[in-house]
Amino acid sequence: MSVDRRKIAVFSAAFVLRLVLICLFPSLPDLLTGRVEVSTPVNSFKRLQEGLFLYTRNVSPYDGGVFHQAPLLLPLFALLPEAQFHPLPTAIFYIFVDLVNAQALATISESGQSVKSRLHSAIRKHIRWDGVSVAAWFLFNPFTIATCLARSTSVFTASGILFAVSNAVSGNTVNSMLALGFASYLSLYPALLFVPLVLLCFDQRAQGQSQVPNVALFVIQHGAMLVGSVSALLGLSYLITGNFWEFMSATYGFHLLVPDLTPNSGLWWYFFIEMFDSFREFFLGVFWLHLASYVGGLTTRLRRQPLFVITSLLGVFAIFKPYPSISDASLFLALLPLYRHLFPLMRYTFFAISAILYSSLLGPAFYHLWIYAGSGNANFFYAITLVWSLGLSILLADAVFAAIRDEWEQEHPESQGQEVKQV
Amino acid sequence: MLAKIRDLRNNPHLLFVRLPNLLSLTCIVVGVVWLLLLPLNEYSRQTYISENALLPGQVHAYFSGSEQNVFRGYKKELEGLLNEGRDQGVPPAEAGQTPAVSSKIQSILQAAGLKVATQKYEYTSAGITHEGENVYAIIHAPRGDATEAIVLVAAWKTANNELNLNGVTLALTLARYFKRWSLWSKDIIFVITPDSKSGTQAWIDAYHDMHPASVQPLPLKSGALQGALVIEYPFDHRFQSLHVVYDGVNGQLPNLDLFNTAVAIANNQMGIGSNLQEMWEHDDSYQARLQTILRGMAKQGLGYATGAHSSFMPYHIDAITLQPKGEGWEDEMALGRTIESICRSLNNLLEHLHQSFFFYLLMQSNRFVSIGTYLPSAMLLAGNFTIMAIALWMRTGYYTGTSSTAPAIAGDKKEKPSSKKVTSGKPVADVKLKESGVAERQLALPLTLVVGLHLLGLIPLWLFNTLPHQYLPTSAYAFVIVDIVLPLVLAALLSHGLGLSAPIIPQQYHLIKSFSLLLLGLSLSTLATLNFSLSFMVGLLCAPLSFIERLQSPSKPVRSTISGIGFLCLNLLSPPSALLGVCWYTGVSVETVLTQAAFGWDVWGVWTQVVVWCVWWPAWLIGCVLLGASMF
Repeated sequence: MSVDRRKIAVFSAAFVLRLVLICLFPSLPDLLTGRVEVSTPVNSFKRLQEGLFLYTRNVSPYDGGVFHQAPLLLPLFALLPEAQFHPLPTAIFYIFVDLVNAQALATISESGQSVKSRLHSAIRKHIRWDGVSVAAWFLFNPFTIATCLARSTSVFTASGILFAVSNAVSGNTVNSMLALGFASYLSLYPALLFVPLVLLCFDQRAQGQSQVPNVALFVIQHGAMLVGSVSALLGLSYLITGNFWEFMSATYGFHLLVPDLTPNSGLWWYFFIEMFDSFREFFLGVFWLHLASYVGGLTTRLRRQPLFVITSLLGVFAIFKPYPSISDASLFLALLPLYRHLFPLMRYTFFAISAILYSSLLGPAFYHLWIYAGSGNANFFYAITLVWSLGLSILLADAVFAAIRDEWEQEHPESQGQEVKQV
Repeated sequence: MLAKIRDLRNNPHLLFVRLPNLLSLTCIVVGVVWLLLLPLNEYSRQTYISENALLPGQVHAYFSGSEQNVFRGYKKELEGLLNEGRDQGVPPAEAGQTPAVSSKIQSILQAAGLKVATQKYEYTSAGITHEGENVYAIIHAPRGDATEAIVLVAAWKTANNELNLNGVTLALTLARYFKRWSLWSKDIIFVITPDSKSGTQAWIDAYHDMHPASVQPLPLKSGALQGALVIEYPFDHRFQSLHVVYDGVNGQLPNLDLFNTAVAIANNQMGIGSNLQEMWEHDDSYQARLQTILRGMAKQGLGYATGAHSSFMPYHIDAITLQPKGEGWEDEMALGRTIESICRSLNNLLEHLHQSFFFYLLMQSNRFVSIGTYLPSAMLLAGNFTIMAIALWMRTGYYTGTSSTAPAIAGDKKEKPSSKKVTSGKPVADVKLKESGVAERQLALPLTLVVGLHLLGLIPLWLFNTLPHQYLPTSAYAFVIVDIVLPLVLAALLSHGLGLSAPIIPQQYHLIKSFSLLLLGLSLSTLATLNFSLSFMVGLLCAPLSFIERLQSPSKPVRSTISGIGFLCLNLLSPPSALLGVCWYTGVSVETVLTQAAFGWDVWGVWTQVVVWCVWWPAWLIGCVLLGASMF
């Protein structure tokens, strides 16, 4: 019972903190909504409002080329009172989404999948945080709070992913695929998580049963479920918009072809601004291929820990996505505490965290110098996005290193140092 | 030699305690020495005009002769109205604000053929209301399309609160004179404001539709502003030299080309001398140059508006104030010609001033250092905190004393605070051993404390910006007391375990210091890119914090004495004590400074206070807490 009380305390503290921030600084949500680090063309609340305005007036929301988000968000937000005049209901809705995400995280953590799965059992099992602590890390992460206050629609993608994982670790493979379908429908890139997620589901299924089910059949079944759920959502979207190709090109086409080069915390915009147009298609292909190639490599190498593959892939997405924002980083940082037992093996956490902190302070400062003060230029901000990506990459690479070392130490108990033996 | 280096690697005390101290100290010393080297010829540069389109002083200035008669006529009319006002009992400070004067100015500008408009504004800060009415007029460019404009400002009250009769008259005369020329390719806007503090701020805010509700919007607008000149001439005699004031709000500076143009025109074309930073006797010696730099840095660091031009800077409009100084033989016509020539130069601009430097320190009207040369000094100061933070982090992880073999992973309870001893003989074994022997760090309490104290800074920030002006000195004195009591209370609480089950271990004190210094280093290095001087000043005042930690070794009385003395010394460096000290040294009353600061926060958007209360104060407080903890 005491555990529950802790959870209630953490969740209500997170709720109150967000509410207090909104009430004390009423201009804060709008300020954050306008920040390029938080709002990208594919998750901006401002653009959603524009789409909503057109939608409620029976104009196609994709007219005007501002709105690029999934059409199903429109009827959902049309139910809420207009955020411009009544910001509180929307804010509370977003806070609840955050809390629900945290609950999913707690479920994932409590399943113990991160330390002990079918094929793998970590050496330092006892060093771990319980679900409430992991949820607290997520809820009190400033990046999460900023995303929540900025009402970025990335939080729905994050819920899709977190629910997919939490259902997978609890054995509800169908729900897991439906949730992944929802996330992929919203932002496209979560579809890349299918492979590790289906392996996670498979491991979970195989663990429960005496005989291992057929892998190929299992994958095909679940692939069909994913495709089915996405098609159902697309069908619903067609009913809403009435013009299938218009919304497909405005949403997924926009994700894939990256036409909007508004600055963001990622690596694509500057590169594509500088590039000659004739090379654009080629490098688009290269960039996407690069992003997708991690799926195969990580899944193969870390086959025994599919949940870790998902975690590290989320890190990869936070760095190499076309339109990343701090919400993607916050999702990666939310899953990382599940691997608390790897922290002692990580070598550069402090430096990585320092680099991330430095860039999250210097980023806005340099953006200010570039856009408002006029005394800097685009290179200032781009340099900081490089540092930001560097910090995340170090953290990610370090985590992967620790996971591999953990596996290696298991395989070679004789090679472990004295220190490790004590554990 | 090699053996010595190997020894060094195996001596954790040297590696984790001595070396970082040494490195930090070196950073601070080098940072300060770096700044002191800047005035030397080897490190500074001659100024030059970077934007070729400016062509300063290449045109003949025709403002002379009969225009002087117009000037005298306008002056007579205005003087008459001012005297009338004085007879009716209007205080001299408000002389320029009477409706009669305002309508006279409007009629003069209208008669000259300009479009005229007015704007009322009102600001309330620290319980004081500042209100007034701006009058402004626009000359539409005969050769332009109203997309760009130059601003000429004359305030009835100068930055030093003198009556600027000649300046306003000169602006009116120039308006009439400029209107007759057909060569303008940019609109020229004349703004006559009641005072230098709030008038231009209200006008420029409204020009960009960023004004608060208490300020009226502008009925008449032109294009993007390319530059602004503020004219001051608050006395009746002839002047000797021109004092160019260039500091903006929050330490933002105008493009160096604008300053260079003004100096080049004054010195070369007009033969008028030029000064900066109130250095009337500048003999180009090392001392004079350094003094100029330091004065510039003090103004930049405090970030307040130094004149009517300062308000333009946040909108990326380069602006300077021209102040005639001294007794000489230059008259108002010479000032008028200088302004005419500068306007002609600005008129030549093809694009916004961008070629030259935005970050510079001037040491003489024709010598400067650019950001690449001076930034390392502030960065070194900020870096010293980061070095210390990293060292402390590593120390908490690797060097808890090697006597207890790997207390780390086994759990917290095994970790003994007393195990922090120097073991010199025994090597720490190979790298692999170290790697896996990382101690478990207890982060929750240090993180909460550091974040909590930084948030606590919001309270004084809010207090000092909202209290009415008469209570400000009292609250400053109250904060000196708070700064003595609060750290001691916190230290006592920490030493007695905060009522938690687990006692506070030395590692956590190190972590508290590490996080606090990390944040300080982060903020200061970010700040150095925005406001070098403020970052440098705060960095210097915080420098002792790198070397303060909870004393453990000597016996209790010695420890208490040392930390007590240290505590007192540190209290002399606290934000409120520093403020009182500076006030006492300069002879300005505390109330004036704090009222001005609140005004800056409310009207100009100065954020020096945020740095003081949310960066400097928490870091200082944590230093004091650590020192105080050694007493218990």
